[in-house]
Amino acid sequence: MNRAPRPAARLATYIALIVLVSIVLYPVMLVLKKAFEPGRAFALSASPLPHAVTLDHFRDLFGAKTGGGDFLFLRHLANSLVAALATTVVGVALSCTAAYALSRFRFPGRATGLQTFLVVQMFPATLLIMPLYVVLDKLHLLNSVLGLVLVYSTTAIPFCVWTLKGYFDTMPRELEEAARIDGASQWMIFRRIMLPLARPGIAVTALFSFMTAWNEFIMASTFMTDESKFTLPVLIQSSVGQFSADWGLFAAGAIVTSLPVMAAFYVLQRSIIGGLTAGAVKG
Amino acid sequence: MTGVLQRQLRDFAVAALLAVAIASAAFVVVRNGDVVDAQLELAQRSAHAVASGQEALPTTHVALVGPSQSSTRHPILRHRDIRQLGEAADRHLDKLFYDAALRIDREHKGAFVEMLHDGTGRAIAATTRDHGPMIVVAVTDVAKPAPYPLLVMIGVLGLGALLAAAGALVGRAAARAGTLTGIATLAIPALLWHAWIAATAIILLAAATTILQRAELTDQFSSGMRRHRVALGFLAPVAVAMFVLVAVPFVIGIVLGFYDHHQGTWTYVGLQNFRDILGGGTGGLDDGTNFWFVLGVTVLWTGVNVFFHVTIGVALALVLSRSWLRGKGVFRMLLILPWAIPNYITALIWKGMFQGEYGAVNSLLHAAHLDGVSWFTSWSTAFSANVITNTWLGFPFMMVVALGALETIPKELYEAASVDGASAWQRFRHITLPHLRPALGPAVALGSIWTFNMFNVIFLVSGGKPGDTTNILVTDAYRWAFERGDKYGMAAAYATLIFLILRLLTILGSRLAREKEPA
Repeated sequence: MNRAPRPAARLATYIALIVLVSIVLYPVMLVLKKAFEPGRAFALSASPLPHAVTLDHFRDLFGAKTGGGDFLFLRHLANSLVAALATTVVGVALSCTAAYALSRFRFPGRATGLQTFLVVQMFPATLLIMPLYVVLDKLHLLNSVLGLVLVYSTTAIPFCVWTLKGYFDTMPRELEEAARIDGASQWMIFRRIMLPLARPGIAVTALFSFMTAWNEFIMASTFMTDESKFTLPVLIQSSVGQFSADWGLFAAGAIVTSLPVMAAFYVLQRSIIGGLTAGAVKG
Repeated sequence: MTGVLQRQLRDFAVAALLAVAIASAAFVVVRNGDVVDAQLELAQRSAHAVASGQEALPTTHVALVGPSQSSTRHPILRHRDIRQLGEAADRHLDKLFYDAALRIDREHKGAFVEMLHDGTGRAIAATTRDHGPMIVVAVTDVAKPAPYPLLVMIGVLGLGALLAAAGALVGRAAARAGTLTGIATLAIPALLWHAWIAATAIILLAAATTILQRAELTDQFSSGMRRHRVALGFLAPVAVAMFVLVAVPFVIGIVLGFYDHHQGTWTYVGLQNFRDILGGGTGGLDDGTNFWFVLGVTVLWTGVNVFFHVTIGVALALVLSRSWLRGKGVFRMLLILPWAIPNYITALIWKGMFQGEYGAVNSLLHAAHLDGVSWFTSWSTAFSANVITNTWLGFPFMMVVALGALETIPKELYEAASVDGASAWQRFRHITLPHLRPALGPAVALGSIWTFNMFNVIFLVSGGKPGDTTNILVTDAYRWAFERGDKYGMAAAYATLIFLILRLLTILGSRLAREKEPA
């Protein structure tokens, strides 16, 4: 490692890397191409460059209307936004105190509690899809954004508790001890000192749970069957459904929907990796 | 003295809360049962009354439905004359009348009576008329269930509290007798409603409270609650939310596994679903709906994917950590792109690329003078398409984890090894690998769980094709629920089994990790 290898070996390494990068980029290029190329069919040639350029697909995406004359895409965007935002607010608001308690207090049942959060956080929500469907059906919450928020909260809450607990663990205890000596109550310490200091951790946790809800597909597609209640992932999947596939619409929708979360991912990647491995190491 | 009284009332309050919950649940069950019986009887009597030429009963809607005839304008369409009796005909009910008559004709039974499956608590009865081809159908109004007996509950609560307090004031053995009788008093309403299970449960609760009180466990519990009340307060919101959103559906899921679902009705079938699943169903071992086949596919799927993720990820990490390499940042940024894309979009892109004779993948094969492949018509190619997609989206995670671990290796180690004349392989084997292992272990565990449950790729790329043979456990459970005739009970049993398998694997995994740690 301290000696540089021969030029031929270096060249081979660069070529191998470039080949891999092309394999990674190729599907992405195809989607970009399809979004701007006329026609509904997917790739009829292997070339990743469009033979003509048009904005029709974006126009179709934003311009589609319901029978009532509302803009469909705006509906779906609003459904997605409301579901993801509400899930994030519920998840973070409920989790902060619990995460702090699990990080700082010692009480009987703490180990069991942590274990439960870890397991629930790791296991897929699809295991609960059946009972959740039956419950939502009974409560008349199918095809309702509120129902979707409740469903998403089943994963968001344990995730937020686990991640925030990890963040509180990294914060020094000296401040709390000083405040305690000055006679502050436990609630004051939490509310006035720890919560403001934990803001960066809370922001990252909130963004993750937003991204998770924003990208969720199968629950939304099972529970939201009425077209006006679709979320963006359901819209995108249904645009290439079994009977009528419009890959141009799909590509335009995929780009519009995933660009914001991809940008967030690149900004937050360090924390994502840190959070994931921290959770896994302790399991 | 006040201490004893306080303690007595505290224990009574906690137990009474539980007892009231049990009694209320019993009341709801009994009341609903009564309502169902009354509604069924009302519908049946009203239908029979009209069938034998009398008036329809009040609070029911009755119609005479004629035999099925060809429509005059569209001979393929069938229609029936529906004549509603009484002054105000409700056209919304016509479909119910029509369907009931259709069912009488189809099933060749003279009559039937049942509750409507729409949750409104209405009953429907149909019977053939004594003379002529007309069918009589009666639908009841929405039921008005009896109100909750609030006064009765307050009364027994007061009586119970008095008994408990009186016992405490007399002292010692009488205090325990007071607890027992005070709580047992709450069983009275349940006894009145003939809810024997609830009554027994409340009496057992009374006995248990008395025993716990005697062993001073209630005191210990209460002081524990007081000591940790701050922690409890902080945890309460999440505890309630987790109970309602996770624990309740989870338990419902387990319970539903013991039921069979058919067109809106649930029948208790014991372990039948589990027996059907573990017995492999009707098909052979190569049948796509056989649990063991699906389990095999899932294990293979997880193993193959994790293998590719780790080897590709580690290889790339090793290359990217070369000190002479230029443009590391750019390569790294481009290579983690698949991780940034939402996985349902990735799955759909690859599905599109594999599709058709002229899809992108086949076009590339043609360009290389190879034959195109019909990806979703045979098991091995469909499975490979899934694996290719999942490898594409999964290797960046392992690469990034490995890169992170490689950064922590001190350069001096390699220098020292070179000085000692260690070969490249020896350096990898004795320096790199031991440093990678602690980070890769958890990553592999996490990656395995993700892959085991990678619903979106399987569901969207191959969709189980050809013929339901490329499903993994989670997608198969989904298909039982929503695509194979609403077999909800089967799906619930499936989910329970998947949970057990996953739990077993994670317990084994963490035990394995703990054993390795000291070494």
